[in-house]
Amino acid sequence: MSKAVKTGKYFVQGDEAIAEGAIAAGCRYYAGYPITPASEISECVAKRMPEVGGVVIQMEDEIASIHSVGGAAVAGAKAMTVSAGPGISLKLEGLGWGIKNEIPYVVVDVQRAGPSNGVATRVGQGDLYTVKYGSAGGNNSIIALSPWSTQEAFDLVIECFNLAEIFRTPVFLLTDETIGHTRELLVIPEERELHIVERVKPTVPPEEFHMYPFDTPNVINYPFPNIGEGYGICVSPYTHTSRGYATTSEKDQDRMATRLVKKITDNLQVLTRVHEEMMEDAEIAIVAYGGDSRPALEAARRAREAGIKMGFLRPIILWPFPDEAIFKVASKVTKILVVELNRDGQLAREVARASKGQAEVYHLGSGGVEPHLPDVVYGEIKKLVEQSPT
Amino acid sequence: MSKEQQAREDTTTMRIRINKEFCKGCGFCVEFCPKNVYELSDELNTKGYQVPDAARPDDCSDCGLCELYCPEFAIVLESSA
Amino acid sequence: MTVQQDQERPIHPLVSKYLRLERMPHLACPGCGIGQVVHTTLLACDELGLTPGNTVWVQGVGCSSRITYTLWKGDNIDAHHGRIFAVATGMKLWRPDLNFICFTGDGDCASIGGNHFLHACRRNLDVTALMFNNAIYGMTGGQVAPTSPVGARTMTTPFGNIEDPMDTVAVAIAAGASYAARWRATDFKQLKNSIKKGIQTKGFSFIEILVQCPTQFGRYVLNTGDPTKIIEWYKKNTVTLKKAEKMSPEKRKDKMLIGEFVHRTDRTGVVERYWDLINKIQSEGA
Repeated sequence: MSKAVKTGKYFVQGDEAIAEGAIAAGCRYYAGYPITPASEISECVAKRMPEVGGVVIQMEDEIASIHSVGGAAVAGAKAMTVSAGPGISLKLEGLGWGIKNEIPYVVVDVQRAGPSNGVATRVGQGDLYTVKYGSAGGNNSIIALSPWSTQEAFDLVIECFNLAEIFRTPVFLLTDETIGHTRELLVIPEERELHIVERVKPTVPPEEFHMYPFDTPNVINYPFPNIGEGYGICVSPYTHTSRGYATTSEKDQDRMATRLVKKITDNLQVLTRVHEEMMEDAEIAIVAYGGDSRPALEAARRAREAGIKMGFLRPIILWPFPDEAIFKVASKVTKILVVELNRDGQLAREVARASKGQAEVYHLGSGGVEPHLPDVVYGEIKKLVEQSPT
Repeated sequence: MSKEQQAREDTTTMRIRINKEFCKGCGFCVEFCPKNVYELSDELNTKGYQVPDAARPDDCSDCGLCELYCPEFAIVLESSA
Repeated sequence: MTVQQDQERPIHPLVSKYLRLERMPHLACPGCGIGQVVHTTLLACDELGLTPGNTVWVQGVGCSSRITYTLWKGDNIDAHHGRIFAVATGMKLWRPDLNFICFTGDGDCASIGGNHFLHACRRNLDVTALMFNNAIYGMTGGQVAPTSPVGARTMTTPFGNIEDPMDTVAVAIAAGASYAARWRATDFKQLKNSIKKGIQTKGFSFIEILVQCPTQFGRYVLNTGDPTKIIEWYKKNTVTLKKAEKMSPEKRKDKMLIGEFVHRTDRTGVVERYWDLINKIQSEGA
């Protein structure tokens, strides 16, 4: 058996599945800082990384963690850091460095009740907008995936590493304490069954290579040379030319901003992943993600049993938001109930936006600590149905 | 260029060379040369900085301080080239 | 190229060997000491045989970094403000075979970067740090720095600085640096030898360099824009370690000490220890 891919069946927490998935994906640099409910990931990696000859280090704070991950990625490693809400807030500036310089790495956010420190040990879903829009200045290229089970946590973290290399961008695994701390079945396949994307290297000499491909803003699978490879790479937090030289020109700034946005928006066909059930003849739909999607699905099934034509949609990729999939559903149904563990209505706002008025969008939110009970969600569904003839 | 300046250029060609376009007119070479070789000239480079001249190159003792004091790599001494 | 043309725009051999010609002249103000330190650094690199292929220049944010960024022919990795040592930790752990020269400033290192500075020393991270101390925030227009003298009138202390300056060399030593020195930008020979020693020392080498800032520090704090006057001020207000030993506490009180403070060769660092541990674990597991 490969040391990196421990083929077999396990009964583990989502956090541990994430650690195993990262190692299986080829992650060989990991920097973290203790924070509930993500610390278990660091603890698992601390045991496993030395077995596969990689680097694991507890840095002095959250900020140092993400900056050292950026450094390691620039040095050639597949790198990852993890945290929860308050730590992600701290990491946002460092994330900007990764976004701007098109550096591939993975950040895991095990969301917990907030705002601020909130309830450290209990679930929340308040970081949807943070991970996408939290880093200053906008014009970013964030991709975020969210699992709903221990198995999917393993599978998706590998996907995160692959997308990071394909798109040369930081990628979030946006999960939550429910998934992180729930123990369930994990099946790790044979190593040969895994699909791993390796870093692309330039095929042209250094004088011909542009570190940042502003001339072809939507190109993906673009080479990423690292330090000590003879390319004299220039990486900086400031706006730069395609070669990495500092610039203040309006033209260069716009070229850079366009590249970072188009890299994602022009490649949506590769970046849409949703999980739908009972949608073929649905007249009402329910949308939820991560830990709160499981009670939502349970409630949807109960609704079906009661004769309500209920459909279920779970976005697996949250950013870029699956606008097309949501619009398709909104065009079919009359009402969409969005269920999430915050009172802001973050997911609801995105669903409403993507629906473009094709359906009425309702929000069932809560402060968090516990996922919604299926009964409560089902009660809300019944209320919507009773509101007007469906 | 005046005859005097030309004569100076001829003797300085192989010893003290000044990249006047790199110079920012800080005056360190003038101030710190122990042999008082340099003088600020009347010449301005394209950026508008008043550049120095090796006015007394024969007094140069080859200490190399001017090259080190210059923050702009604008002074190139024969021993380095 | 005719002799005449060559004489008009002679390119210094260190520039040809190590720097990107299209980035010259560099961004420093006239009279700024940073250019002098770059020159001294290149002399040190040259004497040690360092190449753009095996040496990475790392920067933070501020004059220290903006001026040195993209000058080097090799890799230039410019981190966020204060995070230079965190980025360097990731890079050095992954590529321990490469040399890293970190250009930071008093604000970048001792203010916002304080925590990472402490832990880089504690971990004895095997990089060479050159902290340009101009006792002011130059790039942003002349605000007070953690190394500004008491009484300094700056853009954010218009009534005079009331805080004591930090002795970053003392902090580096207390936190565990293997090599610590302080020189002025004009201590060319001593600084060159220090940089060479720092590069060759296994562990965190911290070299603080007092650099003249005519534009901000000079004008606001010393009431002069003349860089030669700032060099004089540094000469007047510094004293070598050797001389200081013989001085009375009264006379030594307000002087900045320059020299080599510590040079330890007995202490390993995180990079060496980590890979030793990995090799041990892997060979035991095999």
